[in-house]
Amino acid sequence: MPPIEIKVPEPAKGSFDHNRLAGKLLLSQTLHLREALLRHLKDVAEVLAINPKDLKTERDVSNYVQRATAILHTQARKPSEKPGK
Amino acid sequence: MTVGLSKLKHLVVLMMENRSFDHMLGGLSLVMEGGKKKYPGVNGLTGNESNPDSNGKLIQVNPNAKFQSQLDPDPDHHFPGVDMQIFNGAPQGPGRVRSMQGFVKDYFTQTKDVNRSHNIMSYFTPDKLPVLSTLATQFALFNGWFSSIPGPTICNRAFAHYGTSFGQVGMDIFEILAPIMSSYERMLAAGKTTKLYYFDQSSSTMEIVNLLKNQPQIFATYDQFIADCAGNTLPEYSFIEPCYNDHEGPGGGQILASDQHPDHNVQEGEKFIASIYNAIRGNPAVWDSTALLVVYDEHGGIYDHVPPPDCTPDGKSADETATGTGAPFNFDYLGVRVPAILISPYIAKGTIVPGTEAGANARIFEHASIPATVTNFFLNGDAKRTNREAKASTFLDLLGDVARPDADLPFFTLGKH
Repeated sequence: MPPIEIKVPEPAKGSFDHNRLAGKLLLSQTLHLREALLRHLKDVAEVLAINPKDLKTERDVSNYVQRATAILHTQARKPSEKPGK
Repeated sequence: MTVGLSKLKHLVVLMMENRSFDHMLGGLSLVMEGGKKKYPGVNGLTGNESNPDSNGKLIQVNPNAKFQSQLDPDPDHHFPGVDMQIFNGAPQGPGRVRSMQGFVKDYFTQTKDVNRSHNIMSYFTPDKLPVLSTLATQFALFNGWFSSIPGPTICNRAFAHYGTSFGQVGMDIFEILAPIMSSYERMLAAGKTTKLYYFDQSSSTMEIVNLLKNQPQIFATYDQFIADCAGNTLPEYSFIEPCYNDHEGPGGGQILASDQHPDHNVQEGEKFIASIYNAIRGNPAVWDSTALLVVYDEHGGIYDHVPPPDCTPDGKSADETATGTGAPFNFDYLGVRVPAILISPYIAKGTIVPGTEAGANARIFEHASIPATVTNFFLNGDAKRTNREAKASTFLDLLGDVARPDADLPFFTLGKH
C-alpha cells in the first residue's frame, strides 16, 4: 500500500497584502529589535533613524525587520544566496 | 526506555500563532462515522456551546470559519481582554468562575458590530484544515495543552524558550534574570547542538532578539532547516518560527505570512506545517529519529470551551498596572487552550492525551513543558530553572516501541488540486 496522500490547497489569489496594517505583534517586534540594536550595536545609525512608530504596513515592517536582522544576525545568509546543502 | 525514545536524536518544535483548540480542531468531535463519533476521545465541540453577545442573545459555535478576512480587527488577546473572555466580566476577587462566556462580548468591544462579534465563535470543519486535522488524528493530540499565560504572544513564547516570562504578562521586551537561561543556551553550555530557525530576515525571530547578537550561531533560516533535514544534519533541539508578515521575496515574488495569526491566511500556515512535516518525513533517517511538536502560542482571542486550570505558580507576580484588570496576577492559572500535536513514527495512530475532561487522569501541558522536555531529555534535567518549569509535564513518553510502516503514514502534496 502506498502512503496516505493528503492534498494541501493553495491560498486564494489575492491573499497577499503587504499593505495590511501591521498588528501589535509585528509592531512590538520592531521595538524589540530596536532595543537589541541599542544594546549591542554602535554602527547602526541609519536603521535607528527610522522611527518604528511611523511604520504602517507589513511592507514597512518587513523592510525594517530585514535591515535590523541583517545587522544583528551577522552569520545569516544574504537573501540572494541559495540554501546551503 | 521505549524503542522510540532510544532512537530519538532530534526534537523539533514548530510554534504557530493565535488560534484556539476549538477553532482549529474542535470540529473533530462532530465527525460521525457509522452513526458514532469518529474521534470520541477528542475534547472538542458538541455544537451547542454558546456565548452571550452584547445584546444578551446566546450565540452558538458555528462551522463557518474563514481562511482570511473574518477576524479583522485582530481579536483582543492581551491580558484584560482574555480576562474578560475567561471570566465574562466577573468582579475581581476570590471565587471567580472561569466560565468561558465572555468571548463574543469582548470581540464586540473591537468590532462595534454585533453580527461581526459572532465570528469569534466560528470553527473550522476538519476538511478545511487537511494538514492539522490529519496530523491530529494520525499522531498524538493533546486535549489539555494550554497557553502559559492568559495573555499575548511575547510572554507566552517566553515560556517556550525560558520556562518563564520573568514576570511579564504583556508584549514588552523583558529582562533575562539570572540564573535562568534559554533552552538554546543550556544546550550550548552542555556541548549539545541546537538551532532556532526563523523564516527569513524579513520575518526574523520574535522576542528573543537579544540572542541574535549574543548567540548568533544558534540561528538559521527555514531554507537551512529544509537542507538540514535533507542532509541529516539537524541539531538535537530545533525551534521553528513561521513567517510573520506578508513581504516580497528576494526575487520580487510574494511571500505570505504563514503564522496563521489573524488576519493572515490560514491555508498558508497549513502549507508551512506540511512542509516541515514533509522535510522530516522525506529523509528516512531523520524521520526515524525525530519527534515534531506542532503547537500554538496562544488562542488569539478566539473561543475555546475548556476553562484553563490552575498551575504551579511561577514565583512571580504582575501588579494591577501590568495586568490592566485592577488586580495582580500570580501566574497561578493557565491561559486558553491551544492546538498541540506530537508527531513521530513511534506514536500510535489516533493517540489522545487526556486533558481536564479526564479528571484525575488529566495530563496538563503548557509551554513550560517545552524547555522542561528539552532539559530532561537532552540534559538529564541539569539546568537552573523555575519551579514552574521543573514541575511542568513532559511529553516524550508518548513515543512507543513500534515504528509505524510507511503505508500507515500520511504525506502531503502541496499545490493546486
